[in-house]
Amino acid sequence: MRNSVNRPPTPDAVEDQEKEPTLQEIINIKMIESGEKEKLMELLRERLVECGWKDEMKALCRAYIKKKGTNNVTVDDLVHVITPKGRASIPDSIKTELLLRIRAFLASAAL
Amino acid sequence: MSSKINHHHQNDKTNGQIFPQPCPHLADFHARNGTKPFRAIQDCLHIKPPGGRAAIRRDSSEVPRCGVCGDSSCPRLYACMACAAVSCHVPPHSSHVAIHATKTSSACSHEIAVDVDRAELFCCACRDQVYDRDFDAAVVLAHTTSIIQSSKPENLRKRRRIDYRPWSPDLRERSLMVNNASPIDSMSSSNGDLPRGLRGLNNLGNTCFMNSVLQALFHTPPLRNYFLSDRHNRYYCQSKNGVRLCLACDLDTMFSAIFCGDRMPYSPAKFLYSWWRHASNLASYEQQDAHEFFISMLDGIHEKVEKDQHKPRSQGNGDCCIAHRVFSGILRSDVMCMACGFTSTTFDPCVDFSLDLEPNQGSSMKTSSTKSNHSCNCEADGMNSSQNCGISTLMGCLDRFTRPERLGSDQKFFCQQCQVRQESLKQMSIRKLPLVSCFHIKRFEHSSVRKMSRKVDRYLQFPLSLDMAPYLSSSILRSRFGNRFFPFDGDESNTLNEPSSEFELFAVVTHTGKLDAGHYVTYLRLSNKWYKCDDAWITEVNENTVRAAQGYMMFYVQKMLYYKASEKQGTS
Repeated sequence: MRNSVNRPPTPDAVEDQEKEPTLQEIINIKMIESGEKEKLMELLRERLVECGWKDEMKALCRAYIKKKGTNNVTVDDLVHVITPKGRASIPDSIKTELLLRIRAFLASAAL
Repeated sequence: MSSKINHHHQNDKTNGQIFPQPCPHLADFHARNGTKPFRAIQDCLHIKPPGGRAAIRRDSSEVPRCGVCGDSSCPRLYACMACAAVSCHVPPHSSHVAIHATKTSSACSHEIAVDVDRAELFCCACRDQVYDRDFDAAVVLAHTTSIIQSSKPENLRKRRRIDYRPWSPDLRERSLMVNNASPIDSMSSSNGDLPRGLRGLNNLGNTCFMNSVLQALFHTPPLRNYFLSDRHNRYYCQSKNGVRLCLACDLDTMFSAIFCGDRMPYSPAKFLYSWWRHASNLASYEQQDAHEFFISMLDGIHEKVEKDQHKPRSQGNGDCCIAHRVFSGILRSDVMCMACGFTSTTFDPCVDFSLDLEPNQGSSMKTSSTKSNHSCNCEADGMNSSQNCGISTLMGCLDRFTRPERLGSDQKFFCQQCQVRQESLKQMSIRKLPLVSCFHIKRFEHSSVRKMSRKVDRYLQFPLSLDMAPYLSSSILRSRFGNRFFPFDGDESNTLNEPSSEFELFAVVTHTGKLDAGHYVTYLRLSNKWYKCDDAWITEVNENTVRAAQGYMMFYVQKMLYYKASEKQGTS
């Protein structure tokens, strides 16, 4: 891009406080407002229960709690331990399905 | 697995429900905010219709975002109970909610927050979820009012179910059905009143032990339903695995043969051959023990299934195969040190209950009293309850099975707490009941000391309906500690999900004769009539004949499965 003399003024400290929303944030807000995010969350929950992922995670949590002792575990611990395993074990079919849905949403929302 | 039954309970128990003690910050919040601290939050509780999830929103279209970093896509956002400021919590990167919590003012503390998407309390100082009865009550209230108020039918309909639509077959479907099915004609009236599924089994050479158990299994409701509804398809199984030994396939063949309506006695030769290959040590034409055959057969069915799965599944849950799904239960064994009271508990899966017959009747005639009346422990000297006039009963055997037994001085158990071998008290109880309980009466005594075996012919009275509740771990333990509730090891023992404890008798395998020369016969109960299955001969008999028979193995099925299955032939 050529540097134009008419380029916008460099943002100064005042404007820094109002950061422009990133694309991610815009998408997120649009999805929440239209109710699509809720639908996708429900769909995701349904799929994860169907394929047994939720039960696997539950079993992992139980095993971890048993190992550590019920009074020595916090929710943060569990989240920290479970998250990598959880992310890794999501079936590809579910990922694909959700990505397709999101893509369709983006197309329809004309972003 | 051993656990200490601790008298310093960390959990609070009321109404039989475990409730964790509040953390000091939550207790403080309660103290500061009076009797109904969460009243204000009720207005903000929105129940989202699809799943009925509770969320915290000031208005239904609010998009919560962190007050510090403006992030609204964070998975965990918390709203402070004191000032409603929303912050994010992303351990270990950043936790704006924890920073918020450090803001203290004289009026209120900002340590308790609520997850905006899940309506769950969080203590920022302890960095852990906390639980409060009043809050949970408010959430439940919001749930129930939302269901009542909502006029949308979606709320009432359960998710993941398709709408009911009546169906009738079109021409193509109709021809498909006609060509591939044969109608169940009223065989029951035309063939001497024998109901469907009764067919004699030829004796192939001292195989009455096998025939008797097979007859009982053919009419075990969950097992019968499994095979008759094609859950194990022998054609598919063999084509997948080649010509391999599969007892389940042979069983499937037999089920088809038994229920096809043909009344000529069937010869289970192929099955016998397969079983010999599986249990080669028992492969002979000698007489065998029916119970041993039963165990061996369940094992054979299990083995085949386990080879297929990659994940080993626990037998206690019955997830591994149909044999365990039907017959497997969990036994709990408690060993209590007599010196210090420390109790060690183990759980073992079991497929049947092997019960000893009580010893000499004459010497111990106590007044009968049922298990539930006992409120104190240490009945080690044995009150042989429910003995009426010296007749042994099945309940009596079960009482004996679950009563505390003093392990003698030659069997001292190593106590974890005392760190020495101590005399102990052992007690068995049933942690989880199977769908079908098989009671095996130990009538064959093999004494290695006296180098002889003998058969115990003593008559055993058995009921047609049996309630196993007094033998469950919950009952046994309650009576040990005087009706107090305390947490069980392992997991959430949700009594709502537990099957009921009432059982109905449907098959009795009896033995007549001597130890080495005897005969097995099975009595089956179908539609409240009794049928004697003596190898190839099936006859209807009187209930009293069955009651007077010498029971060796008794099969009881859970009452709810019994009524559904066998009341009316041809409709289940």
